[in-house]
Amino acid sequence: MIERLRALYATGRVALLAETYYHSLAFLVPPPELAEEVAQHRAMLEREFGARPSVLRMTELAYSDDLARFAESQRFTGMLAEGWEGVLGGQPPTYRYCAASAPTVNLLLRHYRLSDDVGFRFSSREWSEHPLTADKYARWLAATPGEVVGLFMDFETFGEHHAARTGILEFLSALPLEVARHPHLEWATVEEAIAGHPRAPLSVPVTMSWADQNRDLGAWLGNDLQRSAFEAAKKVGVVARRSSDPAVLEDWRKLLTSDHFYYMYVSGHGADQGVHQYFSSYESPYDAYANYMNALTDLRRRALDRLGVPVLK
Amino acid sequence: MRRENPEEAPGALDSTGKLGPAARRRGRAVEEGALGTPQRATRPLRIVMVGWEFPPNHTGGLGVHSYEITRELTRLGHRVLFLTPFAGPFTPVDGVTFRFPGEPVGDPAARYPPAYWSGASLDSPFENATDGYNAWVGGLRDLGPVDVVHVHDWFGTLGARELAERLGRPLVMTVHSTEYDRSLGHPWDHILAREQAGVDAALRVIAVSRHLRQQLIDRYHADPSKVRVIYNAVRPSERLEHIDPKKRVVLYVGRLAAMKGVDTFLKAAARVVPVVPDVLFVVAGEGPEYPRLLQLAARLEIGDRVMFLGHVSEEERELLLAGASVFVLPSVVEPFGIAALEAMAAGVPTIVSRTSGVAEISSSIFRVDFWDVEEFASRIAELLEYPTLRAAMGDQGRWEALKEGWPERARETVVIYLEAMAARGVPL
Repeated sequence: MIERLRALYATGRVALLAETYYHSLAFLVPPPELAEEVAQHRAMLEREFGARPSVLRMTELAYSDDLARFAESQRFTGMLAEGWEGVLGGQPPTYRYCAASAPTVNLLLRHYRLSDDVGFRFSSREWSEHPLTADKYARWLAATPGEVVGLFMDFETFGEHHAARTGILEFLSALPLEVARHPHLEWATVEEAIAGHPRAPLSVPVTMSWADQNRDLGAWLGNDLQRSAFEAAKKVGVVARRSSDPAVLEDWRKLLTSDHFYYMYVSGHGADQGVHQYFSSYESPYDAYANYMNALTDLRRRALDRLGVPVLK
Repeated sequence: MRRENPEEAPGALDSTGKLGPAARRRGRAVEEGALGTPQRATRPLRIVMVGWEFPPNHTGGLGVHSYEITRELTRLGHRVLFLTPFAGPFTPVDGVTFRFPGEPVGDPAARYPPAYWSGASLDSPFENATDGYNAWVGGLRDLGPVDVVHVHDWFGTLGARELAERLGRPLVMTVHSTEYDRSLGHPWDHILAREQAGVDAALRVIAVSRHLRQQLIDRYHADPSKVRVIYNAVRPSERLEHIDPKKRVVLYVGRLAAMKGVDTFLKAAARVVPVVPDVLFVVAGEGPEYPRLLQLAARLEIGDRVMFLGHVSEEERELLLAGASVFVLPSVVEPFGIAALEAMAAGVPTIVSRTSGVAEISSSIFRVDFWDVEEFASRIAELLEYPTLRAAMGDQGRWEALKEGWPERARETVVIYLEAMAARGVPL
């Protein structure tokens, strides 16, 4: 896989983005955790691909004024964020913006409707636009007003969320030709897309993500299980750092990966847990929580052992 | 990855934004719809229920079920004649009449010879006793108008079949458990024969879980089209108390029979006790396994951390549940498991064996393979050690257990009566 990504990157038509090495919630942990994890990811990109990305994407597309300040301090020139009406105040998601808190950081916004047409709805027979063809989609792109359309979807969109038999791969290979029929459309890498003068500053005081209707962190830290697990993890982080054992620190960072908390998501009364379990490898959010807490407890014990602290039972 | 709002996942939303089929994955309890049959009775039905035990003298789920379902059926306006071999007393229910043979077949307190539950030699008059019950049921006269005959489990199938045939009325059978399960694979032929007779003669068979339904199809060759699932339910307790989070009681409530797997409970206790302080394991119930379980507790050296309470009254059971931190139902075989649902309704986080019927209708319980002592111990320890987990599972479980109750189950049962009556040509 890495070989194929290297080949792709070597075409020069692909941008690699910086993020946290552990796909983690490090931005909610006291410094210097976030800076260290981003530095670790940058080092990996340089080592594996010879890449020096200038644009930062935070885990789960988290974005806020504070995160923009952080990006600026790490000398990034751009960040990705969700093109959500809730923060755009009537402006279109297809303009170039900069961070109000850090004007040197330009923003590329995800056009979530057009992105999700492919990412979520492509194979849904109940969708009124099914089947979605490449020429139809290209026409939608051509008809979208603005300067930049940010299309972001998971790698798994192509062949996993939508199996090959749905025609998703044919759609993907047909799309460039269909886009080329519209002379005012052209493709751009992330760096190219954010270059140029921003139209307006964008202020996002509260952390926004790309999940759920509320675009907040509720999918990861919305319920008591999730919050209790994360608070416990933060406390273990203090001893994990103090232990000065790289293996302990690494395991702790793995436990900050956002997916652990996503698995603990419990739907509200009345909604069907089954649908929410779609992405989880656990039988239930309670299994996920119990398993996580066991792992965390073991790690805490290891960290305290390194520090020579007897554990009281 | 995984930014997806699950409600927007493919197939979950239709174009109008309503939840689609994927979101309604968990179907109704009555699985195959009764298309063409009325869903509601247009007049009161007269039901003869060929039963076994009835509260207050009951030992298991069958008694609870009989009480709740007759109560709700009469609330819907129907009339129930409940037949039982025992002389009472019976917890009175408006609209339910009880009849029992002039000569009761035995003392309710001693009516399950241990041999019956363990599948060992049958040296009591039990077989003869059920023969007498069947003969009495089959010969009953002067019952007045009857619409449907409904028999529970194997005890009275022969008499119920005879009665239904003579009256020209459909036979409906509810199976709460099978002889294969109760005997842990060493069934009594004469009991199997009676189960088979009931399954064959009934126009509709009600199973208390999908798992049990499949067993009836596979092992009793029941025609799948006539076997329906109606789950058990619980009644909200009138005096539910909040659980003191400081208490650490791990509770089992149920019969002490081999199929209940109480030895697993004790072996798990032996692993939890050394690592979790101040925990007490409580076993409430009586049965033939009691002496063996007591010895096992002694051998595991957890005698001081296990309490055997014997039989508990309904009130005592509610108090126990109100004070429990964890409820465990480790049954080797558990066609439904009302006790687990009752624990959930009381807000107690619950661990059940994976094959329990109750596991089919709940997503907020821990499921464990019945033989996996280590896993039972882990789950118990986790629930004791993580109060957030205990609270979250308790809350969600309580809501799940109470969202559908006996009234819904009674309505589902009436639909099956109507189907059976239509199949037999009984006018409505």
